Amino acid sequence: MTDPLLAEGTRSRGPRRRFDLEDTGFDEVPKKYRRFYRRWAGPEDVLEANEVLCPVCRIVIRSDRELRPGDRVYCMPCMSRLVVERSDTGRLEARVSY
Amino acid sequence: MRDPANDPHALPEPDFLEEVHSFEFWFQAVEGYLSERPYGHAPLGPEAQPPAGDVEALITTLCNYCVGETAALEGASGMIGFAPSRQAKIFLATQVVDEARHLEVLLHRMSELGVENPEAQIERRANQGLLTFKRRLLELVAAREWEAAVFAQNVVLEAMEFTVFEAHARRADPVTREVLEGIVKDERRHMGFGQNDLGRRLATTPHLRGRLLEVKHELDWLVLQTFEQTLGEIGLERSERPELGRDYLAAVARLGLLE
Repeated sequence: MTDPLLAEGTRSRGPRRRFDLEDTGFDEVPKKYRRFYRRWAGPEDVLEANEVLCPVCRIVIRSDRELRPGDRVYCMPCMSRLVVERSDTGRLEARVSY
Repeated sequence: MRDPANDPHALPEPDFLEEVHSFEFWFQAVEGYLSERPYGHAPLGPEAQPPAGDVEALITTLCNYCVGETAALEGASGMIGFAPSRQAKIFLATQVVDEARHLEVLLHRMSELGVENPEAQIERRANQGLLTFKRRLLELVAAREWEAAVFAQNVVLEAMEFTVFEAHARRADPVTREVLEGIVKDERRHMGFGQNDLGRRLATTPHLRGRLLEVKHELDWLVLQTFEQTLGEIGLERSERPELGRDYLAAVARLGLLE
């Protein structure tokens, strides 16, 4: 598992893309964290390179930089710690890590 | 450099756990979706009420929701006394407030639908299976069985409520929808608390698995059967119904409790 704080610049694939996160109206966490989450619009919802879906509560978790396998992210709405993985279909997915 | 004060993913894990279990986190979270919504919904006109023919079934459904919320209210409050950590005690205190609010808004919704004595209707209409679940949950709490009580309450009951309330909200009248959507937002925390607490415990104490499987065998079908009936009462065709056990089965699979 890679702490995102430590991961920066340690990978061979070059620097990560940065993303400006805007408030999407998600209101289930304190204001300062709201832009890091958004509602999921269902199976047709296309996730960006900085987003993964929480498998516990189906909220989209967002980062201000591109996510890569091994990254650790948190789902504050359901209090879960997750690890980013690459699925068989090539998409990024999050797995709960206890 | 990322700022752990504002970027949740930059928090060290102990700080993340401290934050999300705190009363302050809960208070700032619920402020986002509860303020300006007395009894769980914004003031709406009579056009927002359900068609007259749907009211009876809705009242029966709300009665069963009240049984579930009362079970969690009494369960969570009892568990504070033997919760294994300060963080768990504080989180459960916030859950108690959430469950009390759910019960109150559901009773109030029944009053808005013309029910003069909601408590009497709950007595008359409540599903026997759900009442049995409630009695057994409270027995686990009285026996101070932390893992079994968390599993029954925060995994079995909360995961199924989460699925049913989401499905019901999608086709409910505007007032009931807003009330249910507010409850679902709380359920995310309750469900996540249970799964993560048990996940961490099972990782270090795998022998707990046997006891949790016993609880699962004894109790999950009671809730499943009740909410299956509920989905029929709210008019969802079988083909439209979400797989009721979906969230629950995914949770028990993550915990290694699928057989």
